[in-house]
Amino acid sequence: MAEPNTASAPLKEVQIEALVVMRIIKHSTSAFPTPATGCLLGMDVADNIGTQLQVTNCFPFPAAAPDQPPAQQEQQYYQQPTDAATLAAGAPRAKSNVAYQSEMIKYLREVNVDAQSVGWYISTSMGNFVNQNFIENQFFYQKVTDEKTVALVFDVGRSSAGSFSLKAYRLSPSFMASYREGKFNTEAIQKSNLRYQDILVELPLQIHNSHLLTSFLHQLPQPPPTKNALDFPSSIADLTHDPNISSNPLAPNLDHLDLSIDPFMEKTCDLLLDSIEAHQTEQNNAQYYQRSLAREQTKIQAWQAKRKQENQLRGQQKQPLLDENEWTKLFKLPQEPSRLESMLVGRQVEQYARQVDGFSAVVSGKMFGVRGTMLPGDIA
Amino acid sequence: MGTSQNNYLHLARPLAPAAVSTTAPSTAPLSVSLLPQALFSILDHASRRPADQERVIGTLLGTRSEDGTEVHITNCYAVPHTETAEQVEVDMDYQKAMLSLHLRSTPKEVLVGWYATSGELNTFSALIQNFYGQQGEGTFPHPAVHLTVSTAPGRDVDARTYISAPIGVTAERAADSCLFIPVPHEIRYGDAEKSGLEMIASAKEREDRSLLLQTDVETLERAIEQVLEMLERVSNYVSNVLDEEAEPSSALGQFLMNTLSLAPKVDAESVERDFNNHIQDVLLVSYLANTIRTQIDLSNRLATAALTMGHAEGAPPTDAQQQDNKQQSSRGGRGGRGGGRSRGGGDRDYQRENPLGL
Repeated sequence: MAEPNTASAPLKEVQIEALVVMRIIKHSTSAFPTPATGCLLGMDVADNIGTQLQVTNCFPFPAAAPDQPPAQQEQQYYQQPTDAATLAAGAPRAKSNVAYQSEMIKYLREVNVDAQSVGWYISTSMGNFVNQNFIENQFFYQKVTDEKTVALVFDVGRSSAGSFSLKAYRLSPSFMASYREGKFNTEAIQKSNLRYQDILVELPLQIHNSHLLTSFLHQLPQPPPTKNALDFPSSIADLTHDPNISSNPLAPNLDHLDLSIDPFMEKTCDLLLDSIEAHQTEQNNAQYYQRSLAREQTKIQAWQAKRKQENQLRGQQKQPLLDENEWTKLFKLPQEPSRLESMLVGRQVEQYARQVDGFSAVVSGKMFGVRGTMLPGDIA
Repeated sequence: MGTSQNNYLHLARPLAPAAVSTTAPSTAPLSVSLLPQALFSILDHASRRPADQERVIGTLLGTRSEDGTEVHITNCYAVPHTETAEQVEVDMDYQKAMLSLHLRSTPKEVLVGWYATSGELNTFSALIQNFYGQQGEGTFPHPAVHLTVSTAPGRDVDARTYISAPIGVTAERAADSCLFIPVPHEIRYGDAEKSGLEMIASAKEREDRSLLLQTDVETLERAIEQVLEMLERVSNYVSNVLDEEAEPSSALGQFLMNTLSLAPKVDAESVERDFNNHIQDVLLVSYLANTIRTQIDLSNRLATAALTMGHAEGAPPTDAQQQDNKQQSSRGGRGGRGGGRSRGGGDRDYQRENPLGL
């Protein structure tokens, strides 16, 4: 029986059913390259050490129709283009999908599926997911008080290359507080001391199988041999075609031992260049702001000096003094651009850097292994 | 890749009384392929069924090939139903509503059949089968596929697929009679699914059936250990054959020779050179990524920290030096310094301490 004070227990880890894993994989691979989003269902279980979030089912979201009518969209040409990728990425918080989600949950409850929404998932390629859409989606889920939601990110590119890549994230509480206020200019950041590393918190993830599934897995892909030792094959063709002898085991997945690095390297470099460009744009904006602020300031100074002079003259001539603070109404200072985007770029680059580090560890191991095989006796 | 074990007798496929629109109707045998996620979903539903029900049913969604001979089952959902000795009730509205919800998210998947979680076929199955195969909302004119997955605890999970032909005893009983014809099925895995399935399958060895997701290096370690184990078994066998303790097999020997001859024969220098290049590429990209990360971190910190010191070198100009554009940096530098000086003037909006009092 869960205790009533689970509100205070923070989420410690996430446990995910095998079914959810397979569904996410299938949806992501079929929707590639657009990001695939969907809703997670499950429940949270409280322990002594913290709360564990169990995800037991999931379903995909339809790509949302844009919220505004087409006429209005033409005027907002500076907004993001409403192509399929953006629509899909914004799906979890679109209004039409909120209704879809509650309907699905209602129907699924009738067949004894857990009816609590515990988050959402998104598919990405090579770790390219830290952007405005992602933050807004997760904020949309996390802004309700006392919630237990998580965002699962599945990396399609890495998983096809052999290593299964699924991660669980939440927004950190400090970031939530700043995002609620909505201001990301320099003072707010100085006050809150927020760094880009603090935006997301990663949670450990476990896979769990039911009993029925475990017995099924033991039975796949072939029934256990009835005799103690198999007879020898009569020809090479037998080895490849006889199902009793050659089976396709689920583990180990030998794709993982592949040696090619170029596709991964190229894509990572491309994505790094994109991030650098984004960063550069943000820097330009910040500098432009600085320059226009400086210009405004000089204008204000000049005006104030003039006013002082005039007031001196008037003081001498015993005339009423003019207001010295009128410059606030006459001059408008430029708005400081939000620093959120540059923080997100920083976090994204960190994600790439971590991926590359993991990848280089694996590749170094493989390369040294292959070298040892090709040049035997030369273990340097 | 897929797995199929049994042999099937291919009977001519029964045709629906109406012609299929595009191609001529063929009596070629139907074959069904199944995605693992559909199967897992069925098993999950079976374990969640209400305590008093022996079996539960649901709808299968998927895609069909052009001429209808191949059916690919990609998704499924459960439909509540109640079954007593005399009658069976299926919640039709639920079926329709869920179907429309699913079509909204994946419009390509259509209704292809239904499943049941026990292996038996009785009159109720026939009734439901006819319902699913009917005109209007069913799969007409294609035959509805029936998948049974036997989930009795303690026995193997056995999946069979059938299509049906109407078989009439009398006119009144025609609605609940049909002949179930078994058709071959196989389970297909894609690339990404294989890595997911590997994770899931490695959890089957453990006590609590759960496994923490591992990093790449750990997965690599496991894979190498398994390959080493396999190599050891093979080398044991070969040495036993050489010592004449085990029976030789010419097919196995040939296979081993073919495999071993795949190892490339290259000279040591080119191996060294290729190896070095390879490793250098990887390390270079890793170094670059980390450098970029540090640069961006630095620029973010300078942007927010330098202003408290009130020093004339504003933050953004120093960031600009990171880019390769020297002119931009000097221009930005002048603007920043000018901004610092004039900012000290008298801006109440910014409430920043300015010890220099410029």
